Amino acid sequence: MDLTTGLLAIGAGLAVGLAALATGWAQGRIGSAGVGALTEKPELFGSILIMLALPETLVILGFAVAAMIILLLKAGA
Amino acid sequence: MLLPMTKIQIVGSTEKLDATLRALQRLGTMQIQDVAEAQEAPLLAKLSPDRHALEQRDEISALVARLGSFSGLLLPEVRVPNVAPAYDAASLRTTVDLIADAKQLIAEIGPAAQTLALRRDELQAEQASLTRYQAMLHKVLPLSAEIPRLDGYETVVLLIERRSSAVLDLLRQKLNEAIGDRFEVNARHVDQQTTAAMVVFPRDQSEQVNALFGRENISPLHLPQELAGTSLRDALTTMERRLAEIPQAIEQVSRELQGLGASSSAALLLLRAALSDRLAQMEVVSLVGATRYTFVLVGWLPRRDLPNLRQTLQREVGPELCVEEMKISREEMKQAPVALANTPVVRPFEFLVTLISLPRYGALDPTPLVALFMPIFFGLIVGDIAHGILLTLLAALLYRFCRTPIYRSLVQVMFICAFWTILFGIIFGEFLGALGHQIFGLKPLWIERSGAALKSLFAFAVAVGAAHVLLGFVLGIAEAVRARSGKQLSERLGKFIALIAVFWLVAVVAGTLPKTLSTPGIAGLIVGMVLLSLPLGWIGAIVGPIETLGLIGNVLSYLRLAAIGLSSFYLAEVANRLYGISTNIALGAIVAGLLHALNLAIGIVSATIQSLRLHYVEFFTKFYEGGGAPFRPFKQSGV
Repeated sequence: MDLTTGLLAIGAGLAVGLAALATGWAQGRIGSAGVGALTEKPELFGSILIMLALPETLVILGFAVAAMIILLLKAGA
Repeated sequence: MLLPMTKIQIVGSTEKLDATLRALQRLGTMQIQDVAEAQEAPLLAKLSPDRHALEQRDEISALVARLGSFSGLLLPEVRVPNVAPAYDAASLRTTVDLIADAKQLIAEIGPAAQTLALRRDELQAEQASLTRYQAMLHKVLPLSAEIPRLDGYETVVLLIERRSSAVLDLLRQKLNEAIGDRFEVNARHVDQQTTAAMVVFPRDQSEQVNALFGRENISPLHLPQELAGTSLRDALTTMERRLAEIPQAIEQVSRELQGLGASSSAALLLLRAALSDRLAQMEVVSLVGATRYTFVLVGWLPRRDLPNLRQTLQREVGPELCVEEMKISREEMKQAPVALANTPVVRPFEFLVTLISLPRYGALDPTPLVALFMPIFFGLIVGDIAHGILLTLLAALLYRFCRTPIYRSLVQVMFICAFWTILFGIIFGEFLGALGHQIFGLKPLWIERSGAALKSLFAFAVAVGAAHVLLGFVLGIAEAVRARSGKQLSERLGKFIALIAVFWLVAVVAGTLPKTLSTPGIAGLIVGMVLLSLPLGWIGAIVGPIETLGLIGNVLSYLRLAAIGLSSFYLAEVANRLYGISTNIALGAIVAGLLHALNLAIGIVSATIQSLRLHYVEFFTKFYEGGGAPFRPFKQSGV
């Protein structure tokens, strides 16, 4: 494995890892606020579920980038 | 689908109002609207109940509360009888008769039930108190054995937290100041948290010592009043004997409550239900409009129930009652209450739609689409034959124990999801990951998720996403046409065209389409962006491109169908390999089994949330109009 391949693999890991960190941070904040709101208004469950799920797009996009890099690596190998 | 509703107005003479309300409540198909809110009759005065009616309403309210408390006390003790067949006759009786019967029943069972309930509470309180004392005495008893029994001396027991046991020196000092050296304090640690101290002093010094305890806020251990003056050992023996008797006494009281419940439960249920319904009739009167001799009642009901309502009112109240279907404006129709009416296969998914909100009346009910796509997405994510079989077994088990309609519907959803999980498991050739391939040579029918066909899997997930999002736009365009909303039509059509153009251009860049076809793609993108920007005015020039990028994000979001499925596959692989490398077969099997169970649990929760999320965020936002008010017909409370 040459340096370029290694750097690409690190890049793929960073793409999904950093996106996951961002998602986790956002979901943590939304989740804590959401649970607080749910104790007052249980009927908001659906709306809070949506808000909680919104930041997941970040990690999915990170995953898409990582997958593209991995596929690039495979194609080059 | 949404049940078509209609708004009706019932006009009749005031003396027929009670009979009309009773008939409507028995039918249970009409939601009565406040006449003041009805556009056609805003000037009508409300029917105001007289003083006698108000007093009767208060009396019924109190009786319902008392019958409810007796039901809570007696019904858990007995098998509740089925009184539904007798309810019709009970509901036809006059209010005065029902009140008299309720009073008589309360007079018959009330004193006995209250006495028994009080007795049971006392016994339970005594049991709890004696158990507490017993534990304390067990701690203190070894200490008392060290002190000889002295006539003319009083013994007081103190329980102190062990970490505060230094306070005993202070106590000795204070006692010395109060009564000199005529006392003895004997202390020892009785467990990890408690130090017990026994203070012995002459009985004639009792007043000074107790005054000191009071001043210093020290609480000695007092035995229950009936055991005061007895030795600790005797008190403990008496307590143990009493604790052995109490369960039998509680059992005896429960048997007597059961007897009382068995003889009165039917009457209790019937009267409570009949009076609750009568109370509801009285309360609904405040929604009725009136002139001097007539009443006007306005409400919504499913159109299919109108003929039956007319017939019933004619039969039970009389032909002079006028039932008229009202002409409703398009705007007012949007305020109609919403009742969902789907086929039995689709119905369990209604709950998942209402988690967001009910669709607005006149809008599209997405339940059939959720029922179609949600299980497919779930199966696509989990995609494992073994997980599907386990999910089926779990659903079968839950179906036996779940009684409430919501849980039952969720279990039905689980069954459908399990079917798709097995189907995709066959397509992916997965049985606990690749274990099926290793053991019985299971092969994928189409895509293998182990990595070789990663590109195909991602392409498939994105294709599913594109189809789902585009379907959302098609439905949104149809809804905009039906609502005759030019702005919505322009925005949704623009996004639809822009999204197709983006895919077109991607196909050109990827070489799937010839480069000469890039011009229609660029043209489509421009047309789409212009259309979606039009309703926004000049700001659309900025928002348009951002919205187009958002559309690509919407479609790429469906990559989670592949991504989460892959993580599930690899977790199964980890479990299988752990089993393979373990030298201890039993331990390896346990670890692998636990990991597979964890994988299944994560799979169920994650796949459900992600499938729903794709619907709520990516799909519904293209066409769904929520905010509908649920249809709440005026009906009997049921027995």
